[in-house]
Amino acid sequence: MITLVFKRKNNKTIHCLSSTRCRLAILLLLCLSLFLGAVAKADGDYSIVTNVQVSEKTLSSNSLRSIFGMQKKTWADGAKIRVFVLPDDDLLHQIVSKEKLNLFPYQLRSTWDRLIFSGTGQAPIQVNSIEEMLAKVATTPGAIGYLWKVNINENVNVLQIK
Amino acid sequence: MKTYLLKIGGVFSLLVFNCFFVQAQEVKYAKKEAGAVKTSISLSSELPEKITGSDLQTNKAGLASTWIDRFRNNNLPGDFQIHGFASQAYITTSDNNVFGNSDNGGSFGLTEAGLNASVRPLPRLQLSGQVVSRRAGEGVTGIPRLDYAILDYRLYSQEANQFGIRVGRLKNPFGFYNETRDVAHTRPSILLPQSIYFDRTRNLGLSGDSVQLYGETAIGNLGTFSSQFGVWFPIVSDKDTESSLLGAERYGHLTREASYIGRGIFETNDKRMRLGISGIWLNTAYNPQYQSLNEVLGPGAIQFTPIYFSAQYNAEKWTLTAEYAMRHFNYDKAFGDSIAARTLNGQDFFGESYYIQGEYRFTPKWEGFLRYDALFANRDDRNGKDFVEFVREQTTLERPAHSRFAKDITAGLRWNITPQFMLRGEYHYVNGTGWLSRLDNNDPNSTEQYWHLFAIQAAYRF
Repeated sequence: MITLVFKRKNNKTIHCLSSTRCRLAILLLLCLSLFLGAVAKADGDYSIVTNVQVSEKTLSSNSLRSIFGMQKKTWADGAKIRVFVLPDDDLLHQIVSKEKLNLFPYQLRSTWDRLIFSGTGQAPIQVNSIEEMLAKVATTPGAIGYLWKVNINENVNVLQIK
Repeated sequence: MKTYLLKIGGVFSLLVFNCFFVQAQEVKYAKKEAGAVKTSISLSSELPEKITGSDLQTNKAGLASTWIDRFRNNNLPGDFQIHGFASQAYITTSDNNVFGNSDNGGSFGLTEAGLNASVRPLPRLQLSGQVVSRRAGEGVTGIPRLDYAILDYRLYSQEANQFGIRVGRLKNPFGFYNETRDVAHTRPSILLPQSIYFDRTRNLGLSGDSVQLYGETAIGNLGTFSSQFGVWFPIVSDKDTESSLLGAERYGHLTREASYIGRGIFETNDKRMRLGISGIWLNTAYNPQYQSLNEVLGPGAIQFTPIYFSAQYNAEKWTLTAEYAMRHFNYDKAFGDSIAARTLNGQDFFGESYYIQGEYRFTPKWEGFLRYDALFANRDDRNGKDFVEFVREQTTLERPAHSRFAKDITAGLRWNITPQFMLRGEYHYVNGTGWLSRLDNNDPNSTEQYWHLFAIQAAYRF
């Protein structure tokens, strides 16, 4: 039985590959998947997200940098800002640092270390996975973090950065 | 000896604990990934709880780490956080003593450990405190001390502009490294450039009881300017500070008088360029112990007013840092007319310090650095010859000229094994003894002008 199936499959493949139309289709599919892969890594496939209770819908990039630098501590309505980040070596963390904050992850780390060990500030709360990031931002009042677009759902707000 | 063993034991247990912690974290992480594939994300329950339910063994292994997670990652009331650090260094020198008897087979004389906690009971209010134990040669015994205890209130916050006030025992803001100089991970090297960050007068420079105003403001799209300014009462009670400012340990003590400190730092938005200027106006006076027949000094006053310029450039792979300090000392003429007093009365001179340092990040785990660091006790007497003459005339004593300068070439390598745990080593070639502790080197005439120092350090932080 098994050998039969194999044979049939093999026959089919050979048949398919021999047809020019089929070959073209496969080529197209390959190109498309490559293109999609490139898109997945490109800018715009992630967003800064906040807890749904946060009233801000847009933020200046200066304010965003001040928030992730743990300097700006309150939202416009006076509520506490709570910052969530992924580990320093996480791909999304590195992309957000470089593209949205214009900083290298090591610069953020040394900024936070200066704050916590001089007593002049607190460190952001580190989560260990995208799932945890989504869960924490969705359930923590005043939370801000970042997510890949595919992981974003209605439980968090997307923040526009100007 | 007993406390020494205890310290080593403490560091060792921390190391073991660290390995355990890292392993536990990895197990947990792997579990989570596996779980995430099949289960859709449930928002009502938090992830650590899911893991607890799923596997007893993971739970056991992760006990220590989840205990820390409880404090750090969960939203406790008031956003409570704790952080800490511990490090142990081994130092060996060809000649002269640094942090203990280092030229005689090496010394484990530098141990640092600290624990801090912070809480935000109100959105604009933060309370924080840190206790530090530091054992470093003869001058510092390792008795835990209150490093900072701060009440911080944010008075104004609009967009990227912030303004607030801090009250309590505050870290002194000068240069790039002073406020976190005891935390190995925040320093570029085991020994900070001693020309600027003297370890022998560190308690004086480290923190003080103070009221400070601080602010940060965005300058268009160029960057941000942040500043701190305050009145403080310096801590001048330790022996090392006393012998540095008064030439030797004395019977009386230095008094705390109102002093001033301030710093401004401009950073471009990408923090690639950082430029800073800091200044200190330190006032202190000698309070003689007249009951003692051996008292040789009168009630003289000292003013120490250093100014610091700092610059740093940060690229992805490398960082270039330079700092320059001009240190003005001014002694009045009320120290009396004993032989000892003659070398202090009316002294008015500028010390000069600078260093330039390059750091290179080969990979995120491996870093190296090179530095040239120079100190001149008196910039008008860079080779110390005038000083030797002066002391000979006034006291008939012989003092080595090389105690008035130090030029230090340093190279080092750092290995960040995990984000928490780091190992590093460095080598110094020093010409001069200008920043050696007088308590570790009792007789200035038995110090050597040209000497080598090698140090390794293990450090942990969380």
